[in-house]
Amino acid sequence: MTPIGEVKRALGGKNEPKKGGFLSALKGVLYGMASHGNVTAALRTRMHMEHLFMFITLGDMLGIPVLPPYYSLRILPYAVPNIESWKQRVFRERDFTDAIY
Amino acid sequence: MNSPALFVLIALVAYGIAYFGYGRWFDRTVWKPDPKRTTPAHMYTDGVEYFPVSKYVLWGYQFKSIAALGPVLGPYIAINYGWAPALAWIILGNFFIGWLQDYGAIMLSVRNQGRSFGPITYEFTGNAGRNTLLGFILFYLLIISATFIYFIALFWHIFPSTFAATAGILLVGVLAGQMLYRLRINVLTTTLVALGLMALVIWAAATFPALQTPAGAWPPDPAGGVQAGGIAGEWSLLVWSVVVCVILYLASVLPLPTFIQPVNYVSFFPTFLAVILILVGALVSGFTGVRLEQPAWIGFNPTGNNPMWPLMFVAIACGSISGWHSLVSSSSTSKQLDVETDALPVGAGAMLSEGLLALASLAAYMIIPKDQLTGSVGAWVAGAIKFTQPFLGAAATDFLKAYFGVVLILYALTVQTLVTRFWRLVSAEVFRGPLAILGQKHVATFVGLVIPLAFAATGSWNNLWLYFGGSNQLLAGLALMLITIHLARTKAPTIYTLLPATFMIITTISAIAWQAVRVYLPAFLGTTPTLVQYPFNQYSGFARAMDGIFVLVGAALFILGLTMAYRTYAAYAAARRAPVPTGDD
Repeated sequence: MTPIGEVKRALGGKNEPKKGGFLSALKGVLYGMASHGNVTAALRTRMHMEHLFMFITLGDMLGIPVLPPYYSLRILPYAVPNIESWKQRVFRERDFTDAIY
Repeated sequence: MNSPALFVLIALVAYGIAYFGYGRWFDRTVWKPDPKRTTPAHMYTDGVEYFPVSKYVLWGYQFKSIAALGPVLGPYIAINYGWAPALAWIILGNFFIGWLQDYGAIMLSVRNQGRSFGPITYEFTGNAGRNTLLGFILFYLLIISATFIYFIALFWHIFPSTFAATAGILLVGVLAGQMLYRLRINVLTTTLVALGLMALVIWAAATFPALQTPAGAWPPDPAGGVQAGGIAGEWSLLVWSVVVCVILYLASVLPLPTFIQPVNYVSFFPTFLAVILILVGALVSGFTGVRLEQPAWIGFNPTGNNPMWPLMFVAIACGSISGWHSLVSSSSTSKQLDVETDALPVGAGAMLSEGLLALASLAAYMIIPKDQLTGSVGAWVAGAIKFTQPFLGAAATDFLKAYFGVVLILYALTVQTLVTRFWRLVSAEVFRGPLAILGQKHVATFVGLVIPLAFAATGSWNNLWLYFGGSNQLLAGLALMLITIHLARTKAPTIYTLLPATFMIITTISAIAWQAVRVYLPAFLGTTPTLVQYPFNQYSGFARAMDGIFVLVGAALFILGLTMAYRTYAAYAAARRAPVPTGDD
């Protein structure tokens, strides 16, 4: 399962089967209070690291003047599934008010 | 009638009507959320910032993010007018204004591609508007930091067992982080170990005198026989403030998983338990015999220079409405909303729950006799003990004192670590070119702590608090105006948000002006005693200069707030004149 799928499954997103009931809701509330901020912060930290890696290896795709190393070709098949979401994240408008949480 | 339980029940009913009655009607009439409309969480899913999350998780996240020291300490100032006006503002403020803002901020962001307030302000009011907002937020962050640094230092000074307890909990947090991320121990085991260690730490701090710092009193009055005591006599508060800044510095520069994340995680449990305990204590107070001790009404202007309007409305900083909530709502919650219809339970539900926390805190002050409350901001701890002792046992008094004392500190510390880090990130964004050095990690953190430290160590707390409340509520008013502009652009009814926005903007700008002109300016001019606190007030030149700086801070907040308000009203007028949009909003 992709990281996105894992997140959706873990957090009870719309596209995954939902478990109903009071206990499930309570678990969700407690998770949201105690851990959700930490999980998203960890995901963002990983995102920034991945951005650096992608810039170094495949930055030329975005017009960044880096000489593509030989190994870019070797990792290309593995990077292809993430390129769209990577471009989307990198090009997204960001602002200081996005940095609060 | 003489028990707080009745008033808590009345507020519960009022909040129920706000949510199920006014809330749903407002929803149908104004926002018209559509469960079939694709939210940014689905449209831009990236598994990092945008992904759908269940409403229960988001409610918990939103509540945890907005609940801090504001609703706990604000009622302490508000009760100076009697508990009835404070209670009325907590209930009515929530009913007509508070939840509208939190919920509206989420919907505003959802209907604008999940963007946060910066880009939305840019779109609605232009680049100058965005820069004004940025300037305002920078001042706001400094004031928040000064206020929270002051309170942490104060609580360490007046509650002898809380420093060891706080230090122990911070260490437990760091240990939990190492267990989770380095040793790969599962979350449940780590949590249980952390809970056990935290209970042990608080018990040890409450039990062993060797772990307790010398007891102190504040404000000291050597002429009246009240000595400062504490670890460094009259300089205790300064010393403790420096210790707070060292901790915040580490929190800001260390990686998130090393300090802030695990510390905030373990801190959640004692703080949340305290809210539950106090609420239960308030609800069963009819059976436990806890009685109201405060008068319902004292007066409109009891001290002669603190009129109820506008000051009480900014004193209860987050219990009725808060600008911080709108920043949280639009920066992260809106990006993870599964369906639009979840916005009401998440935004409005979390805000009304925060109102409940404010109410429980007010109740904790209502049961303390007036002579014990005056001058003792830590009275919340005494009230919490009074509520909970009947069912937790009288033998646990020392433990409860350490526990509720450290809960107050954790409320401030967990938010302040994030605020200090946010300051650093904003500085990196703002300072460019020749000022780029101010955006460097260590320099930005240092600057972001030294200025608040100077304010905290020298400023009188209730005036600082009113600046904090004023800027916080003003931000809320501006957020309501942004919501109103969006509604005007989409030709939806605007009166229900325009009126609260106008009330909040007029009230908060008046409060800031009052503080600057009627409180700090006379002190600066020497017509009233300085507001700088002991022992700095012994150095008249320095005290006069600090009073002057506080006047300038007030003036800056006033001008930035007024400018921003003008820009939002101009944008609103333009939106009203614009033709009806043809596409989907």
